[in-house]
Amino acid sequence: MNAIEIRQLTKNYGKHRGVQDVSLTVAEGDIFGFLGPNGAGKSTTIRSMLGMLHFEQGEITLLGMDSRTKQKEILKYTGYMPSEAAFYPGMRAKEVIRFAADARGMDCREEAERLCEILEVDGAKKIEELSLGNRKKISIVCAMQHQPQLLILDEPTSGLDPLMQEAFFKLLLEYNSRGTTIFLSSHVLSEVKRYCRNAAIIREGRIIRTDTVENLSKSNMRRVKLVENGKEQEFTYTGSMKELIGQLSGRDIEDLLIQEPTLDELFMHYYEKEEA
Amino acid sequence: MTLFRHELKRNLKALLIWALSIGILCGGCLLLFDSLEESMAEMAEAYSNMGAFSAALGMDKISIGTIEGFYATEIGLMFAIGGAMFAAMTGAAIVAKEEEGHTSEFLNTLPFGRGYIVGWKYAALTALIVLFQVMCLVFICIGFAGAGEWPSAKEFLLFHAAQLLMQLEVGSICFLLSACTKKRQIGGALGFAMFLYLLDLMCRVLPDLENLKYITPYYFSNATDIFTSGEVNTGMAFLHFAVTIASVIAAAAVYRKRDLAA
Repeated sequence: MNAIEIRQLTKNYGKHRGVQDVSLTVAEGDIFGFLGPNGAGKSTTIRSMLGMLHFEQGEITLLGMDSRTKQKEILKYTGYMPSEAAFYPGMRAKEVIRFAADARGMDCREEAERLCEILEVDGAKKIEELSLGNRKKISIVCAMQHQPQLLILDEPTSGLDPLMQEAFFKLLLEYNSRGTTIFLSSHVLSEVKRYCRNAAIIREGRIIRTDTVENLSKSNMRRVKLVENGKEQEFTYTGSMKELIGQLSGRDIEDLLIQEPTLDELFMHYYEKEEA
Repeated sequence: MTLFRHELKRNLKALLIWALSIGILCGGCLLLFDSLEESMAEMAEAYSNMGAFSAALGMDKISIGTIEGFYATEIGLMFAIGGAMFAAMTGAAIVAKEEEGHTSEFLNTLPFGRGYIVGWKYAALTALIVLFQVMCLVFICIGFAGAGEWPSAKEFLLFHAAQLLMQLEVGSICFLLSACTKKRQIGGALGFAMFLYLLDLMCRVLPDLENLKYITPYYFSNATDIFTSGEVNTGMAFLHFAVTIASVIAAAAVYRKRDLAA
């Protein structure tokens, strides 16, 4: 069974573009990256999945259930971490976590305590006393404490320090190994390359490529570093190797390095390709 | 129930501030009645001959010089306006505060469902209005006990039942407003509560605007009318109850259909 199936999703905000004809499938147990720059339509897609937005066209099925008719049931088995970690001022961190558990009618104390310990959450602190990073940690606990079948994460690492990011991804891998499907929306390409198996790239409301992260990383684009007349040059090249070598052969090159592109470069490459 | 308890906790401070302010004001004024009784008798005479002004405040029907008259014309008015303002403010904030405070995404992605959210938020609003009434009534009763005189129990209870219905209507209309907007319209809600009172004054003073009495809920719940007639106009009460129900149904329908901001 697929954990997520989106078919031809279209959502506009009046005259403003939201997403157009978005289709993607995430298999159960996958860690799926959803890549795109700010304003590309990542959050619109996620909010449509979670019932925050009513879409004009298309179908969304999560955990085998129609998102329009089984929203409450879907949310029972889903954990969501929004990009903005906003909670009720005046409440303490532990009260927010408890509220989220009570909403599910579950006793999540044991798992919540374990998560708080790993993420170093101070439950006694009031929401308004917490930094963005610390609010993000509460958001992680709220999304994971009920051990969901599906985790939807919208730019989860913004605001988290590198050590916490490491701890967070370790938790994600642990949940994934227990069968949780993870849908990770991000514009940080390195984390998608490191942790995701499959990914989709969205741009200006349209999916421009869906593939395995391995395949997305494979292309005939290369990063070329060379030293010519004592000057170092670096550029990306897309085309046949024969032509590249032909172009370089008559030049006074002292050093040459041809590498696979980074995912960032690849990301830009897909964008440019789509634009052309 | 989780959301109901949560809402009560979130609104406890505002409830205490409003209920204590209005309750102490009403109870305190009643405690002063004894010492003002003599001057009240003179004022009653003066007020009863002030034409439209007397009619607007109901002083042409009941004497401000008696505890019942004083309660109906002065305290009842303060309680009505204060209660309507509290109901309006709470109703206008209870749904819209989620989008304004960016907590909407957190709340709406918990497995509640929009119908549940709107239903329990309205239940919390109703409970807050009832608690406001009860707390104010405690202070009012202390005031009557201190003054050593009590009004007729039947009219007193009828008045407060009508007030409860009036506050629920104002709260429900503002609840509908709250379900439609992304920001708390507190100013608009307070203005709305005062505007309804203005309509009540106008329909009492200007015969051409008499039909406004069907629009403003202050009219059917007016203290002087209830204390002098000994009854509440049931037709009008049903009309306003219908407006209350329609507002809640419309609020639920709008909230379930609309896109929510983060």
